[in-house]
Amino acid sequence: MRDTTHPVPTLSAARRVFDLSLEGMLWGRRAVVMTVLLGLPVVFALLYRGVLLARLPARIAGYDLYRGLMAYFYVGNVLPLAALFYATSLVADEVDGKTLTYLTSRPITRPAIFGGKFAAFVVAAACICLPSAVVTFLLLATARGVTGTALAVPHLFRDLGVMVLTLLAYGGVFALMGVLMRRPLIPGLLFLYVWESLANLPGYLPRFTLTAWLRSLLGHAPAMRGAAAVGEKLPPEWCVAVLVGVAAAGLALSFAVFSRREYVLEQ
Amino acid sequence: MPVYEQTYRHYEAREALRQTRFWPITREALRLVLSRRAFVVLLMGAWLPFAGFSIYLYVLTQTQLGPMAQVLPVGGPLYLRFYAWQMPIAFVLTTFAASGLVANDRRTGALVVYLSRPLTRRDYVVGKLAVPLLLTLFVTAVPALLLYLVGLALVPSLLLTRAHAWLAPSVAVQGLLVSVTISLVALAVSALSKSARAAGLAFFGLLMMLDVVQGVLQEIYDKPYFALLSPQANLRLLGEAMLGGPAPALPWYLPALVLAATGAACLLVLRRQVRAVEIVT
Amino acid sequence: MSAEAAAAGASPAGAPAPAGGIEFVRASRWYGQVIALNDVTVRLGPGVTGLLGPNGAGKSTFLKLAAGQLRPSQGEVRLLGEPAWGTPALFHRVGLCPEPDAFWEGLTGLDFLLTLLRLTGFDEAECRTRAEDALRLVALVEARDRKVGGYSKGMRQRLKMAQALAHDPEVLLLDEPLTGMDPVNRRRMVDLVKQLGRQGRTVLVSSHILHEVEAMTRTVLLIHQGRILAEGDVREIRDLLDEHPHTVALRAREPRRLAAALVGAGHVLSLSFGAEGEWLTVQTAKPDELYQALMQAALDTGVSEMYSPDEDLESVFRYLVHR
Repeated sequence: MRDTTHPVPTLSAARRVFDLSLEGMLWGRRAVVMTVLLGLPVVFALLYRGVLLARLPARIAGYDLYRGLMAYFYVGNVLPLAALFYATSLVADEVDGKTLTYLTSRPITRPAIFGGKFAAFVVAAACICLPSAVVTFLLLATARGVTGTALAVPHLFRDLGVMVLTLLAYGGVFALMGVLMRRPLIPGLLFLYVWESLANLPGYLPRFTLTAWLRSLLGHAPAMRGAAAVGEKLPPEWCVAVLVGVAAAGLALSFAVFSRREYVLEQ
Repeated sequence: MPVYEQTYRHYEAREALRQTRFWPITREALRLVLSRRAFVVLLMGAWLPFAGFSIYLYVLTQTQLGPMAQVLPVGGPLYLRFYAWQMPIAFVLTTFAASGLVANDRRTGALVVYLSRPLTRRDYVVGKLAVPLLLTLFVTAVPALLLYLVGLALVPSLLLTRAHAWLAPSVAVQGLLVSVTISLVALAVSALSKSARAAGLAFFGLLMMLDVVQGVLQEIYDKPYFALLSPQANLRLLGEAMLGGPAPALPWYLPALVLAATGAACLLVLRRQVRAVEIVT
Repeated sequence: MSAEAAAAGASPAGAPAPAGGIEFVRASRWYGQVIALNDVTVRLGPGVTGLLGPNGAGKSTFLKLAAGQLRPSQGEVRLLGEPAWGTPALFHRVGLCPEPDAFWEGLTGLDFLLTLLRLTGFDEAECRTRAEDALRLVALVEARDRKVGGYSKGMRQRLKMAQALAHDPEVLLLDEPLTGMDPVNRRRMVDLVKQLGRQGRTVLVSSHILHEVEAMTRTVLLIHQGRILAEGDVREIRDLLDEHPHTVALRAREPRRLAAALVGAGHVLSLSFGAEGEWLTVQTAKPDELYQALMQAALDTGVSEMYSPDEDLESVFRYLVHR
């Protein structure tokens, strides 16, 4: 017998929202775009292997290229952009599509709706980007033979963890922007490309950016064209704590805002 | 004697379409985007580099700071540097202003309403294209030409020489190239989506990613040709060819060809996507 | 207010609140400086109530407040005795058919219903049974495996009804539910709504098309410029308006003689003859006195037909709005 005096339990409701949202995120057109984008490092890795096969001179070692891609491509650009894209859309998509009413007129709490959607975003983005990173690692770290690759494997796991933290931390910030603002795209881009560039300044200012903490966790990447390896090394436990804290704070504030906010869906 | 009913008669004559019939589309879209305070603030902020460069020009020409003149003297490279500042700003402004131009019309069905008026698809595209074009010109060619006038006022003896006669047209052409390229790409991306947010992010992401991709490929292969992959790099190369930057890595016609092909591809996308009828499969 | 109307649910303000139903107590709602709903106090109980008003009258705001989708700026809105805003548990017992023509287009009709039933807390087997039943109820069984994106406007409207009904709610809030339906399905939906009302559910149907509502119920709530203009039975509302000029059309053998008999009466405001020469239209301030006077005159002048165009909702509404 159903209990009609209470909302559906939060975890159970969040799981159902998660199921509903995950499908749209994994099989929609945007997932195709993200897959193509996140598949690029694999293409680069194959091209690099091609250079080695053709016995052309390579400017950079395979593992260094992997580290560069991890720092500048994944963590520096694509994952924050993916977070901006998905996390600001969690509610906005339902508002634009005028389907939010179907969710808010069910016996489920708003945090369950938001939590389910956020979890779907993290899982969908991770499902798309982690395999690409693993394949890129395997192609580049073994470029000059498998000797020594085993030593680098722990770094791969650390990098995968940093990728998930990147999604969580930026996701928390952008999810909050998504529920606070009607048009979060431009503020989000300004946050990514103006605020986060403070990470390249000397002193304590970089600590106010997510980039500085993520960069410290990754370890210094080799300098690549147009990107300099700068910044101080912060303790890894602090880095994890700060990034998880930012994600949790962003999510908690998003829950609070979404629970109180009204959405007027005009026909 | 026959008596005719004096009722309404349908007027059969055809009125020739006005040449500027796209203008109401542009005007309304501009009005809408300029009604957003945040956008106006961004638009004004886009002129900050102009102020900075003007001050630089003043200090450079009115004081005796020799070393500065060696770093960035008055001439083509200075305007090239100015465009390097203005291009990302133009990207952000275009993301704001143009991402919803076609996407929103597709989502709400307004496209059908436009095309049921005495407007052709070309009018619609021209009307929409004029929006980012005017806005980007306002933050690229207009301040660059004003900066030229500032330079002219401060050092007329230098800029009115035969050696610098090409400077003003080059500055204007570079501004036009930047604006047309950005506007066409933004509008084409907007036409591919029904969500302004998705279109905005796709436009910005596309430009960013192509730049990153060309950087990575150059890192792997160490060949200048990969610059052709990125619209920004192509614009930079053309700017260097016109305004005299470092020794060109590629002949000017290669980036010109790539940009022309990009423009043609954008027009093809618009031709395909801007339709009154959508076939759902 | 007649006993019938009271039983149908629209009870006057100040009466004890019904155990269930919808209750607005001095509720106002504004968007910025625009007042969408202004100091509304009303209680609606079991039966079908039509929420009528022109576009922009505040119907949708009223419905969204009732459905807990908006918070009142002032006052209280209660649903089944609980605050409508911020009480998600209520939606076990409430069904909402929203106005926007919006769906998760990639889902099939069946998946759409299953998803929403899962979110309502049913187990998988019950979700399936209820979804099938709801699809049957709105005649969408054939189209259940097609994507909603390919549905016609009428089918989409019926699917919205199905999702509102599938969990068997006590209160149904239907925002313009007949929009886009063909006559056959419109009839089907009207019958369905009437049946739901007869089952003792509280059904609130909003519409700006008067005959649509008239086909479902005689109990109406007239809303205009954010205020409740009138509530109750349509005929009762009209009866309450003593000064409402009442129009009666008469078909008589001798309409001019009938006109001569009536023209002297003080309550007769105007007389006009129909084009075919058999019809006389009388406008009166006091319908009862007119009917009294007609008893004799009708016999003398051969009155064969009589009807009042005022009986339809449109004229009452028009009158109330422009009073």
